[in-house]
Amino acid sequence: MNQIGPIFRALLRNKVGAFLLALQIALTMTIIVNAIHMIENRSSLMARPSGLDEANQFYLTSSGYRDDFNEQLVIEQDLRLLRQLPGVINATQINAIPLSGGGWSMGLRTAPGQDGLNTGVAIYFVDENGIEALDVELIAGNNFSTSEISYREANAVEWPQNAIITAATAKELFPDLEPAQTVGKTGYISGDEPLTIIGIIDQLQAPWNGWSGVERVMLVPQRTLFGSSRYFIRTEPGQRDRIMKEAEELLLRQDAGRLVRNVRTMTETREDSYRGHQALQTVLWITVVLLTIITALGIVGMVTFNVNRRRKQIGTRRALGASRGDIMGYFMIENFMVTSFGLLLGLGSSIALNIWLVDAFNLPRIGWHYLPIAMVILWLLGQLAVFGPARRAAGISPALATRTT
Amino acid sequence: MLKMNNISKVFRTDVVETHALRDFTLHVEEGDFVAVTGPSGSGKTTFLNVAGLLETFDDGDYLLDGQSVKGLSDSQLARLRNEKIGFIFQSFNLLPDLNLFDNVDVPLRYRRFNAAERKRRIEEALEVVGLASRMRHLPSQLSGGQQQRVAIARALAGQPRFLLADEPTGNLDTQMANSVMDLLEQINKEGTTVVMVTHDPLLAQRAQRNIFVRDGRVSEVTSNADASELLHKTAQVG
Ligand SMILES: Nc1ncnc2c1ncn2[C@@H]1O[C@H](COP(=O)(O)OP(=O)(O)OP(=O)(O)O)[C@@H](O)[C@H]1O
Ligand SMILES: [Mg+2]
Repeated sequence: MNQIGPIFRALLRNKVGAFLLALQIALTMTIIVNAIHMIENRSSLMARPSGLDEANQFYLTSSGYRDDFNEQLVIEQDLRLLRQLPGVINATQINAIPLSGGGWSMGLRTAPGQDGLNTGVAIYFVDENGIEALDVELIAGNNFSTSEISYREANAVEWPQNAIITAATAKELFPDLEPAQTVGKTGYISGDEPLTIIGIIDQLQAPWNGWSGVERVMLVPQRTLFGSSRYFIRTEPGQRDRIMKEAEELLLRQDAGRLVRNVRTMTETREDSYRGHQALQTVLWITVVLLTIITALGIVGMVTFNVNRRRKQIGTRRALGASRGDIMGYFMIENFMVTSFGLLLGLGSSIALNIWLVDAFNLPRIGWHYLPIAMVILWLLGQLAVFGPARRAAGISPALATRTT
Repeated sequence: MLKMNNISKVFRTDVVETHALRDFTLHVEEGDFVAVTGPSGSGKTTFLNVAGLLETFDDGDYLLDGQSVKGLSDSQLARLRNEKIGFIFQSFNLLPDLNLFDNVDVPLRYRRFNAAERKRRIEEALEVVGLASRMRHLPSQLSGGQQQRVAIARALAGQPRFLLADEPTGNLDTQMANSVMDLLEQINKEGTTVVMVTHDPLLAQRAQRNIFVRDGRVSEVTSNADASELLHKTAQVG
């Protein structure tokens, strides 16, 4: 340890190489810290619950094609048959699937007219079985009654009287009230069409995972007559795959003049939904790993070069009384200095890059704990990378002092 | 002081075995100034390396300062080199990235002296070789003779019992060689045992004893002791 002073002074005489290595370490730290931050950010986005019982849910599309296709009749019959299938907990018609990327959203106001805050909400048209089929929890108010379910034509502009909203929607609309207290309040849609909030569900996600309002959802008590409709089915645990096949066959057996297609599980839908996130994470991980390896190799290369260049100096030091440990220590300390300098630079540039990312891409601020962790890891990496070349340096014979010119 | 009995040293490579030293026997007394000469490849450097614990030997006994060095560990050998032996090399072997002060400091730090002690010794040693005013200079800013004097200062700073020099004047012109030789003589007079390999017969004559090495053996020992000892004694008497 009492070699620190001269090592530092000798290092200052070889600034360029050391500085370049320090820059590489700084760059590595900057990218690694921010990449891992982004990876973790994506992970936390992907970990958000959809509010559904995803493992046990699937959906399918039924599209009429024949002239005699009686949509309302078919829907009622289909839903009845589906609900009777052993293993099915419940089924509902729904216009859009959470996380699927496609759906419908409307603006909600707390007062009629065009003034006031317009809060975007995703709309799911479901019947009274929707809550159970989706497996969402009603935390206040009531479910829709069977009698209030109406049918909606494709060109309809009117809205029914009642709606159920998520707690997040309630919070956004009435920031001063607890979600449960908003039961009975009125929201206005399409300008001045009033909707009475009759129930609050704990949580349900919109179809768009990247939307800042992804938790804002409204259930509307209607079935749609749009020519093509989706059924959303929840099964007993473990029965999904069997029921998927049975449900499709069951519907096809009804000679109703329609096609059954797009039979998909919620699990697949989530995977598709976050495929981009996952790909980004993979790319970032690869970057992190490659960069770490490259930096470690850079250190190994630099130290190997220095050891070879200084063979005679090392022999001389040994002749003058340096033990093997002293020689190892020399390179470890030297590397520690270069790495530390690089990491200090990296500390600054990591924060700078994050500030820019926060600004440009609306990413969250980096957690401060990333920085010391990254520094410790890179310090260790540096010492590990030096270890091999330093050990070879320590093996250099003191006779080299006289044997080389 | 330095007792080598029947030392042998063999270098083995895949193709050849070189007997660099065979039955090498030599005793050097405390305060001696020994010059080693001999043809190229005769084993002079090998002898010096073994004597200085830079290389091990295959057979025989070697007592340094009364202590057998056989079987000592690498770190024990390093410690002995550090404390008892000063080295001077043909090509000076200063560390190019360190200034003179730090160069002389190198063995002292390995000795774990404290900062004040090191500073005192460094300044004193550089004073002795006449370079105290250039402590902050780099080796590359000095002439060859000056560099060798720094190397001598570095060897002296730890106050070793032995000074081993392998052709210390080999890279210097006559004038600088002489001044280095003067310095070595002075150091020897102050009590340090000096063993010097040289190709220069004139310089060799200035030593008390000359050893001629041939084929890894001591083939001739001549003593110039009379002259120098006489001088030495008259100086003491006077
Ligand atoms: N590391 C080594 N590996 C193999 N052979 C060696 C090694 N070092 C020295 N030798 C051989 O040992 C013999 C003695 O070498 P040494 O260097 O001691 O000679 P020298 O008397 O110092 O010669 P010079 O006057 O040229 O310096 C030579 O034949 C040399 O080639
Ligand atoms: Mg030689």
